[in-house]
Amino acid sequence: MTALAAVAVWLQPVLLAAVVVSVTGGDAAAPWLALGALVAPLVALLAPEMRPARVDPVTRAAVALAVTLVLASEFVLAADAAALLGRAPWLGVLLAAALALLVPLLPGARRASAAALALAAIAFALPLVSIALATGTAPWAAWSRAGLRPSLTFDETSGWVRDGERFARPAYLHFAEGQRVTALTAGTYRVVERDAAPPTVREWHLAAGESLALRSGDELAVEAGARLRFEAGRRVPGAPVTGVAWADAPDRGLPMLPGALGALATLVGGALALVPSARRGPAAAAAPLVLLVATTAAVGWGIYAGATAPDLALGGSLPAPVVGLPTRALGLRAGAPLAVLALGALAALAITAVVALRGRLVTTGSAAPALWAAAVALAAALAVIPLDPWRLLVLGLGLAAAAAGPARFSTAGDAAWAGSLVGVLAFAVLAGLPVVAPGAAPWPEVLARYPALLAMPLGWAVTKARSGGDAARNMATSL
Amino acid sequence: MSASRGRRTAITALLVLLAGAPLLALAPAAPGAVRVAGMSLLWWYAGVAAPLLATVLAIIVLVRGE
Repeated sequence: MTALAAVAVWLQPVLLAAVVVSVTGGDAAAPWLALGALVAPLVALLAPEMRPARVDPVTRAAVALAVTLVLASEFVLAADAAALLGRAPWLGVLLAAALALLVPLLPGARRASAAALALAAIAFALPLVSIALATGTAPWAAWSRAGLRPSLTFDETSGWVRDGERFARPAYLHFAEGQRVTALTAGTYRVVERDAAPPTVREWHLAAGESLALRSGDELAVEAGARLRFEAGRRVPGAPVTGVAWADAPDRGLPMLPGALGALATLVGGALALVPSARRGPAAAAAPLVLLVATTAAVGWGIYAGATAPDLALGGSLPAPVVGLPTRALGLRAGAPLAVLALGALAALAITAVVALRGRLVTTGSAAPALWAAAVALAAALAVIPLDPWRLLVLGLGLAAAAAGPARFSTAGDAAWAGSLVGVLAFAVLAGLPVVAPGAAPWPEVLARYPALLAMPLGWAVTKARSGGDAARNMATSL
Repeated sequence: MSASRGRRTAITALLVLLAGAPLLALAPAAPGAVRVAGMSLLWWYAGVAAPLLATVLAIIVLVRGE
């Protein structure tokens, strides 16, 4: 397999869109998430692959489930994109599932996907070049200017101000200043007023078109699917309070270290599990270059979106900055074709990723088309529930890391089997922690968010113990 | 340098580059917040320097076939 085809499984639109939204919203973790999205697959490309002769049933089942979770994250993204284009979210899921079902089974799909991946990465970056040239602003200049703003506010061209927009996920909005919010969908809106101790919780049953007057310090709980309209010139609720806070998140500090370790371990472990080994040689240089173009473009999209329209990260819809930025930066006439190009690039990346995911299932010994159909159907069913696509991706990558990680470093089938079993069991227990023990202490909370942080080393340790040190030597050779 | 040693060194270097971002961001006194030419040191590192270094390193190892 070429290196370019190998990294197709990694360049999931959800991963790139999550980096975009994270940078747009001034998330404290954005810098290492962006770097991890690039470095994790590079580590996997360089690491040797030492698979046992036969993949054990635990690894096979866990990888199939991991692939299903990753597919589901892509389908949720498709649902979000459909909603942004004014269509029903289930239409996006249906279209994505149909493509996922059929395209990987077409003859020549894997051969064509490498070239399609390179073209899609370039197409994802092109609108940014156009925005940079049209506005005469380099990304670092946009970042610098955004970091100097006194406040992050809605402008008059924002969709949230003109016609109102839809929340893709449930949200809990904190208002740094008072403003009138209009509900465009009937429903119950819960407001926490913090101007007195203890805080007062009020529930408002609003009909479409009715408004709520929120004061500074209030918090508003919004259900997924609700449509709201905000006031122009007011601060974006939930966004950093100032440009300085957007540039340097004030909550960055040592308490974030476990979460950072969890995110990076999940990314590296997931890449080691899913990105297959590839042929070396001059042609392999294309893979790191394509990864660099795609991840740098994701950071660029986030910077320009954060600088131009910070409200694009408000509704929790991952593709919103990519769809909305070109028209906000350049106007409808010049921006719409660029938005179509960027969305098309994400769709092409999704298709190449799906083809590669199917290939990953085949290499673990699950080549039956019926299994692929079952994975697609289950993923589509999961995507109908409004789950967080980033959470689905993290669970998919983490499960793959916990299950397939031990097998990557051991040629001893029994040892890899035991390691995979322990890894998968530990992963399931940790991922289930929020259900079993809600409100656990910070470390278990991190382990529940990133179960691979503990499940992966546990699996490796068992593999090492069972293989009498062979696995340890293999790991030392590769890492 | 043997092929496996070169690859091992490259992987270690990549992981060190990756670890640099949270260390720069979370270290006491926030060295990552220092502005250099208008942008924070953290973003120069995580968005420009480390990605370029990592890519060049990976290309060298992959092209040599190590």
